Amino acid sequence: MEIIDKQVDGVTILSLTGSIDAMTAPQITEFIQAQIAKGNTKLVADLKGVDYTSSAGLRVLLGAIKETRAQSGDLRLAGIQPDVQKVLNLSGFTNILKTFADPDAAVASYK
Amino acid sequence: MGDKKRITLVIGSGGIKCVAAAGLWRVLQEEGITIDSVVGCSGGSMYGALIANHVDEKVMGELSRTLWTSDIMSGYTESLKASKDGSLRFNEHSGLVDDSVMNKKLREVYGDLKFSDLQIPFKVVATDLLAGGKVVLSEGSVFEAIRASLAIPIIFPPWDVNGRLLIDGAASDPLPIDVAIQDGADIIIAMGFPLDYRSRFRSMTAVQEQLNSIYINNILTSTYAFYNLAHHAEIFPVIPEFDGTVSMFDVDKIPLVIERGEQAARKQMPHIKRLILE
Repeated sequence: MEIIDKQVDGVTILSLTGSIDAMTAPQITEFIQAQIAKGNTKLVADLKGVDYTSSAGLRVLLGAIKETRAQSGDLRLAGIQPDVQKVLNLSGFTNILKTFADPDAAVASYK
Repeated sequence: MGDKKRITLVIGSGGIKCVAAAGLWRVLQEEGITIDSVVGCSGGSMYGALIANHVDEKVMGELSRTLWTSDIMSGYTESLKASKDGSLRFNEHSGLVDDSVMNKKLREVYGDLKFSDLQIPFKVVATDLLAGGKVVLSEGSVFEAIRASLAIPIIFPPWDVNGRLLIDGAASDPLPIDVAIQDGADIIIAMGFPLDYRSRFRSMTAVQEQLNSIYINNILTSTYAFYNLAHHAEIFPVIPEFDGTVSMFDVDKIPLVIERGEQAARKQMPHIKRLILE
């Protein structure tokens, strides 16, 4: 799993590449925790490069959403690929997450 | 490599689409993945039992052609008319269908098979019609458990198991991943089948059927979310995709359904194997 972060208009975009599963979940959690510790609670996960998410991946996303929202921030998703979208739909996560076609739209949603 | 992970296969409700489990079974065998236990619900219980008994996937397809024939709906139209004009009195034991044909077919496949005879531990989920809760069956006759789990309310008569009147497991737990979690599974391979929706309605029963699909799909989504969050390890969803509707008696589509099950399973294999070999 490769994670690259960049700041745009006070929002932290995390570009993920690879699969989100039990193997990569600890790395993603650690990365997000470090961002939150730095006060970066307005997050966008760019999932254009993510081909797969498992149940462990869903738990990572939910944990980050709860933690950022508790600190007046959020984790918003962008660039969701079809297979990941299916899992989000099946689990009802699309009812609680904010999703966008691309990172620009997700960043703009914080304004 | 870590400790051996306990793998459970869960096959949810979905009528004839559940034959897709034969495709999944083919892939698991080819990949040399050993299943430690199986859980089935409704149509999924029919195929769960065959997998738990190590029945060949080709035989599963052949058996399906004899099981999913329209004569299992014997008496439906007449009973529906009679229920409308009041000549058929309905009670908790009733169904619109004369279930003798279905029972005969199921007995021909499962005979006197007992849970204790199976190669792999197997559990079936049904629903208690009077109490409303999920019931897990794992002892005694496999036929009795499957028949109970298949009892679509109003259509098929409920089935009495040990003094409890049981109906379709889909009414309480269409994809019973919780049973696998409770039994300590690490890796859960869950084959599920969201129900199709109608776009045209020509009768009251069509609306009722649509409502049942809406209820069951919403139970599936909400329970799936909860089970994902509750589980300590991985749940791999295997959701076959179909271009159009697969109706209850589309036996000609059985090869296609098996193929789609196989495709959906192959898609998950790299991820499943990666975790097994962790």
